[in-house]
Formats: sequence, structure tokens, C-alpha cells
Amino acid sequence: MEDSSALLPALLIVVAAGAGSWLLRRSWQSRDRKTGFVPGGWLLLVAATILPAWALGPVRGPFIALALVSAAALVVVASNYTIRQAKARAARESLAPEPSDRATTKGRETLRWLLAGPIGMVAAMGVGIAYAALVPGAQQTRLVVGGLIVPVAWGACMAWTLADNRILRATAVLVGVALVSFTAAIMKGFA
Amino acid sequence: MTAPQPRKAAKKPKDLMSRIPAGFVRAVLRGHSSLGLAFAALIYLICLSGSLAVFAHEFQRWESATAPQVTEVAPAAVQTAFEGAIAKGGPGVEHVYITLPTADFPRLLLYVDADEDREFLADGAGRIVPGKDFAWTEFITRLHINLHLPRSWGGFLVGLIGVALLSSLISGILAHPRIFRDAFHLRLGGSKRLQEADLHNRFGVWALPFHIIISLTGAFLGLTTIIVGVLGMAMFNGDVDKVYALFIPAPPVDDPRPAPVLDLRPMYAKLPQDGGRLTYIFTEHPTEMGGAALFNVEQPDRMAGVDSYAFRRDATIYNEGKASDNNLGEDLLGGMGQVHFGWFGGGIVKIVYFLLGLGLTYLAASGVNIWLARRRDKGRPAPGWERAWAATVWGQPAGMAAAAVAGLVTGGAEIAIAAWLAVSLIFLALAIRLSADRVAWLGRLATGVLTLAAAATHLALRGGLTTADPMAWIVNLTLIAGGALLLLRRFGKGRRAAAPVAAVPA
Repeated sequence: MEDSSALLPALLIVVAAGAGSWLLRRSWQSRDRKTGFVPGGWLLLVAATILPAWALGPVRGPFIALALVSAAALVVVASNYTIRQAKARAARESLAPEPSDRATTKGRETLRWLLAGPIGMVAAMGVGIAYAALVPGAQQTRLVVGGLIVPVAWGACMAWTLADNRILRATAVLVGVALVSFTAAIMKGFA
Repeated sequence: MTAPQPRKAAKKPKDLMSRIPAGFVRAVLRGHSSLGLAFAALIYLICLSGSLAVFAHEFQRWESATAPQVTEVAPAAVQTAFEGAIAKGGPGVEHVYITLPTADFPRLLLYVDADEDREFLADGAGRIVPGKDFAWTEFITRLHINLHLPRSWGGFLVGLIGVALLSSLISGILAHPRIFRDAFHLRLGGSKRLQEADLHNRFGVWALPFHIIISLTGAFLGLTTIIVGVLGMAMFNGDVDKVYALFIPAPPVDDPRPAPVLDLRPMYAKLPQDGGRLTYIFTEHPTEMGGAALFNVEQPDRMAGVDSYAFRRDATIYNEGKASDNNLGEDLLGGMGQVHFGWFGGGIVKIVYFLLGLGLTYLAASGVNIWLARRRDKGRPAPGWERAWAATVWGQPAGMAAAAVAGLVTGGAEIAIAAWLAVSLIFLALAIRLSADRVAWLGRLATGVLTLAAAATHLALRGGLTTADPMAWIVNLTLIAGGALLLLRRFGKGRRAAAPVAAVPA
């Protein structure tokens, strides 16, 4: 037997998500927090994400909805674009923050990228493996969740070490985390 | 007597994001910028190829448009095809993988792992038929999965890019305190930098769940080998097989004595009739006494995992697993590939994945555009980087379209890779001499022309107007529309550029 067709539920998801995004946009536009637009909008978005579980499968439904809700919301945002007039001194128009212009040396930059790369990877693997070793649960679950922790922890390490000006602190923390987590995992073992 | 103090207006409470200190924001923005610039080209390449790889089955159907459409196949026909593929597969057959027809891939496909690996298509009666040249699909999926590098290194590099993308999402959110407050602000026109920034941030925030899912699953899939390797070293005295054994049914007892080809029909007869759909048969040592077969049965609306039935040569079951009995880890692993590629909700989800994937590709491109525009606004333009980036952004789609043409003409994935590489290098070489605008202009032209050429080549060499598979028509029409749109936009821009410039308020 084939999977249930996603076409009609997808249409309902798109309509609900579009309506939810529109309500949120109305609230955002009017800046009036007393209306029911915000709870109504969020309610529709959440319903559009969760309710398909019944029609399309408990995991399949929400994952289909996640993709469609994003797309529907983007359509609402895109359909309400405004045209900005070109200004001669456009550079001063922006209030957006500028990246910091920190003083650095070649050695510090090398260490920074080592921390974001291999050292961060080792620390993240330590955390993932420690999770697999130390947390109770089915073996497969611990391994896969531990494996999923690795990219998240490594990504967080990258974001942190490339931003943090106190590079020695980052070094100490990452090396410490790697040592502690691997030691704890190896001592406990996998059972 | 002091004058009464004017009452201060009640301050609106700041939202959580606005409380992030400015110094922290600037530091994170610096990290976001460094990371994006370091990996932009690879993120762009992987996202673009991944967006196309969503349609891998549709491209396979397009490439094999002359092959018979198979919607149902009887066990006897599968057995005939199985024996035919082994006979044609040459010596040293170790495994045969049989992909059974489904709604989105109506083909009977057999992959023979022998001294020389080969792939075969069969018709509904099980006869081996020509038309299995999947050069373009092979090119685009391998480009996405391992960048055509040696598998483990390429996979690791792609996993690393997934981590970099995930990290960029984290730093991107932290570096833009107004990203949620401005979630509906889309202002086009004005300065290029501000327009790009608005598009970059709106795509970034509204498709965030999709971006997180794609980068996390992509990083996990790419890094699996190294994670399992380290896990094996730390926990299992270096024996990585013990890790895999937790997820894969135990292999059959080895008995290398020669034997007739495995008979799959009595195994078929033992499969339960529970509404599941047989999608895949994996046979091991099919011409040895120790031969075995693993049948994968998908249950409707179940995204993760399959029911599996492993048979010995005499059709007795030695391992049976029901997806409904899976634990969370097995479900997560079983659904990872489908979630990553969007292969779980039919055509509508594939189209949405493709569009959101293109959005992610744009995110990578616009990040660099913003950096280049910021430099230009500050009076420190980087024309060399502008040219190189234009060559990357437009050289890749042009190269992929060239690979499609080369793959269709020659049927060889190696030639497709060579065509892609050659076009990519030509664009980088052009960037030495030509301005960024000129490179982009040429890139759009080349992509449009080569996309139309791919459709024309397909019509000329792969079934033409007589092809029975409607997917071939859909793909060709999409290619023609896409190619024409690129060319029309190019000429449209040319006309606008030639017209007198309207007065713009200063």
C-alpha cells in the first residue's frame, strides 16, 4: 500500500499557515498588542504543524508541515514587500551593527581556527560520546542522539570561538571539556 | 523649591533579543562573517547540488525515459531479472541490490556488486533492457554527497560544511537582535546591500526549521564514518563493526561453496500480507551456499524505518525486525536520509524542498554579496573577490547544466564530471579579465543556453517525443522554462540598461 497522498492535507496546511502568518503580520503592522492576532496567528501555525500527524502519519505529517509552513510564511512575507527609494548616501542608512574590528595576530587567528576546527570537533565528539556512555536508555538511541549532539556542539563551538575575544579562555574550556568527557566515557564504558 | 520633574514616558520592556549587548553582537557578527566567507563557496555548491538532488528519482526517470515503465512486478519476474543481472554481471558477484518499482520511480533496477560493478534495468517480465545510463543523476548526487572526492574524505568535508552551516545559523540569529522583530520587513530597491540583507534575513528566519533540519542531518550523515570510528576506538577497543552491528541484522553464516542462484520466490511467499509495500531486496553471496536475502517492507505513512525479513538460502527466516518495534535511535537513523532529501511527502514536498533549498543556496550567495557591498560602501571595494564570487555563483549552475548535456551524450558520469570541472575553471579564468557584472552576464547566458541544450539533447537522444514516461516531459518542460527564463531575464536586463535612466531622488 502506498503512503497517503499529501496533496489535500498540504493545501490545508498552506492555507492555515498562510492565514497564521497573515495574522501575525497584521499584528506586527499595527503594533497593537491588544488584538488577538498574535495568539490566533501562533495557534494556526502550531495547528498547521501538529494536526497533519493524524492524516499523514505521526512523524511524516509534522515534517511535511514544517516544510510547507516555512514556504507559506515566506510567501506572505514576500507578497507584502515594499519598495525602498534609492538614496545617494545609502551607506549611512543602515542601523545594522557592524562586525567588530578586533586587533589580532597571525598566531591568535591560527589558534582561533584550530579551536573552531579540530579542537572543537574533538571536544564535541567527547560530549557526544560521553552522552552515549553515561545517559541511560536504549543503546541505539544513546548512540544516535550522541551522534546528533556532535554537529550541534561543534557548530556551537565554532560560533563561540570565532566570536570570543578571549581566546585562551576558549582554549581552556574546549580542552577541559574534551579531557573530562572522554575520560568519563572511557571509564564508564558502553553497556 | 524645585521644578517638578517631567514624568518619564513608560518604557516598553525590551524583548529578549534586544537585551543582547552590542559588543557581543558585533563579536558574533565578526565570527558569522568569518565563517561564512571561509566556507561560502562550498556551502553554495553543496546547497545548489542538494536542491537538485531532491529530484534524483525524477532525473533517473528522465535519463531512462526509453526504458519500460514498471508499476507492478511479480515475484517470478523479479527472479528472472535477478538471474539475468547475475548472468550479465560478470565474475565475482558478491551482492545484488534490487530496487522495486514505486510510484515515484516506476523502474525495476538491479545493481550488481561484482569484480566490475554494474547496473541493470528490467521490464515487467524481468527481461534485462537497455537505458540505465544515469550519468547526470550520479554526477549531481555524488557532488552533493562527497564532492566527487574519495568517499570518506568527501563525506567528511560535506559533514564539516553541514557543521559550518549549523554554526552560521546559530551565530546568524545571535548576531541579528532585530531578526525576529523585523521578520515581516521586506524592503526591495534602494541600496543593494540593504536589499540583500533584508532578503538574507527573511529567508534565514522564516525557513529556520528547514535550515536546521537540513544542516543537522547533513552534518550527521557526512560525519557518520568519523563519529563511528571515534566511538569504536573509545568504547569498543577499535572494533567499529560492533557499532554497526547494533543497527544492521547479523550477516548469514559464510559458506563459499558454489550454488545455483538464490531463489527469491519462496521467500516472497513467506512475507506477511499486512498492507506493507516491498521496496528493496538486498542479496548477499547469491551464488554461494551461504547466500541470503534481506527484504525491506515499508509500511504506509511511516517515515522512519522498514520491516525487514532476512532469509537463508532455504527460505527460512533468520532475522526479523518490525519498524513499529524500533526504538527512538533506530527511528531517527532510519528517517535521517528521507528527512534530509525530502523523500517522504511526494511531489509537493519535493518541490517545497527544492525551493527552500534554493533559498538556502541564495543565503550563502547573499552573505558574500552583503560583505562585498559593505566593503564597497565603505570605500574599500574588493573587485578581485567580486569577480571570483560572480564566477563561482554563475559558474556552478552553468557547469551543472554542461554536465547534464555531457552525461546525456556520453552516458558516462566521468565525462559529466569533466564537463562540470571544465566550465567551472573557465568561469574562474574569465574572472581574471572580466568584470563581475560581465561574468554574471555570461554565466546567466551560459546557464540558460546549456539548460535548453540539455532538454534538446534529451529529446534528440533519449526517446524524443515518443517517450512513455510523463516525468521525462515534465523535466524537459521545466528545463525549457528555466532556460528561457534565464535568457529572457538577461535580455530584459539588457534592454533596461539601454533605456534612458529615470531620475532617481538623491
